[in-house]
Amino acid sequence: MNTFATQLRGELKKMFARKRTYIGFGAFLVVELVIQFLLHLSKPQAWISKMIEQAGYEASTYLSGLTLGLLTILFTVLLLGALYLALVGGDVVSKEVEDGTMRMILSRPISRGRVLLLKIISCAIYTVALAAFVCISAFIAGTIGYGSGGLFAFSQFEKIFAIYDFWPGLMRYLLAIPFLSASLFSVTVVAFFLSCLQMKPAAATIITLSFFFIDSILKEIPFFESIRPFFITGRMATWIHVFEYRIPWEMMAENYAWLFAINGTLLVLAWHVFERRDFKS
Amino acid sequence: MVVLEHLSKTFGSRLALNDLSLEITKGEIFGLLGHNGAGKSTTFGILLGQVHPDTGEARINGHSVQKNRAQALRRVGAIFETPAFYDYMSGWDNLSYFVSLTEPVPASRLKEIVEMVGLTDRIRDKVRAYSHGMRQRLALAQALLPDPEFIVLDEPTEGLDPEGIREMREMIRRLRAEHGLTVLLSSHLLSEVEQLCDRVAILHKGNLVFTGTWQDEGLRWRFDIDDWVKAAPVFEKFGGAVEADHIVRFETDRVAEVVGELVRSGIRVSEVARHRLTLEDFYLNRIGL
Repeated sequence: MNTFATQLRGELKKMFARKRTYIGFGAFLVVELVIQFLLHLSKPQAWISKMIEQAGYEASTYLSGLTLGLLTILFTVLLLGALYLALVGGDVVSKEVEDGTMRMILSRPISRGRVLLLKIISCAIYTVALAAFVCISAFIAGTIGYGSGGLFAFSQFEKIFAIYDFWPGLMRYLLAIPFLSASLFSVTVVAFFLSCLQMKPAAATIITLSFFFIDSILKEIPFFESIRPFFITGRMATWIHVFEYRIPWEMMAENYAWLFAINGTLLVLAWHVFERRDFKS
Repeated sequence: MVVLEHLSKTFGSRLALNDLSLEITKGEIFGLLGHNGAGKSTTFGILLGQVHPDTGEARINGHSVQKNRAQALRRVGAIFETPAFYDYMSGWDNLSYFVSLTEPVPASRLKEIVEMVGLTDRIRDKVRAYSHGMRQRLALAQALLPDPEFIVLDEPTEGLDPEGIREMREMIRRLRAEHGLTVLLSSHLLSEVEQLCDRVAILHKGNLVFTGTWQDEGLRWRFDIDDWVKAAPVFEKFGGAVEADHIVRFETDRVAEVVGELVRSGIRVSEVARHRLTLEDFYLNRIGL
């Protein structure tokens, strides 16, 4: 266990020593600040205020850091989250193969399964770190711009409309972090799986992004309503339901079970491919 | 120490290795020679468990690499043709990372190896700032950690200047002398192999065409004579085989009798000199060039 912990620390050190690992954090921060700035303009602010007031609540109380934080996440997380997770997940094996460091690793008495396990754990940690960063920084940026106040949670696609005071709202907001992480981990796993195949890192990233964008587009087309359960982005969107007054645990558990099964299958396939690959200069 | 048994490997329709069997004894410096694509890298790959053979098995200290890779590679170090490191990390962090994949070692052991390869002053610098020679030294350092009995060196002098090549050669000799290391080496610099290796194996298009000590391959004499056609039956009588450039190879040392017979046959013999076979001559001869 001690050796495993040392190896995992080494893997994380490697990941977080790369400047590119931080691009995702930086990009989210910039986008959050831009969104905050744009929401300060009169039109979008008036639109949000109108929504809250139509529900019979006072806009000044619920136009807050929590509300703006959640709005920012909803606007950005699928697009940017998928981009940066695909970038890191798509690189994690194929870049090492391309650079030749994988041969150096595999000249050591470590099993291939363990190499993959270390890598997927470090990817999972990165996913959680990115999701937590996005949520917390969006909340802080929103609070700086609008101050603290209640949470107005709204999602047209998932049919969610809820209002909370500050503390209950904050609890729901924090509860969303692990669920959002679990959803986003599917992006990481798809990229990781492709990274284990014989392809360039850029190809793994682009195919992952294409897959998720196409999936999310198809999911929204009314003709495909009957097959909506088969779209992975539909399952991933389940995290937003933690903002419902009565959290639909059964439905969420089913969605996460699906995601878990898909992730598990892809990881087994990744392991199978990686075990059988020849690594040669 | 190292046994390769009936290794074969094809990549698609290309035969990379054909029924290769070799044995390397403890404390030996063994050279693996061959043109590009001859099967050297495939052999190294199979030996390190990076390439799966179609048939056969590689064993290190009695442990099968294919069945028990972790145990077989427990005390093995390797350097590849182009040593790859994490350029954005320091030399020290790279070493710490790679050694952690075997077993954690104390910092004092790391320092000792860094000093041995002469990188003490630059070990905290990022690897991207290293010259090729420094990268090779770092590669050697990682191969020597934690404490190998056997090291695989794939073109260890590739890209080094003459001074670096000499240093690397002396380091390899010292490691064998002081630590009893067994070394498997491949290099295109045949003069290096000649100076370092006890035995060599020559691969050609995936086939093993020679294994052993090339110096023992017959005695060679250079003859300066006026009639090679007339001399041919004389050489044949004494078991001599005419090679290129007036060189004749004999299995036994009977050159005095050969010269006497040549003179008696009316052939003018101007000069006879012992020809020392270089590895290059031997290698080119073996692969039919």
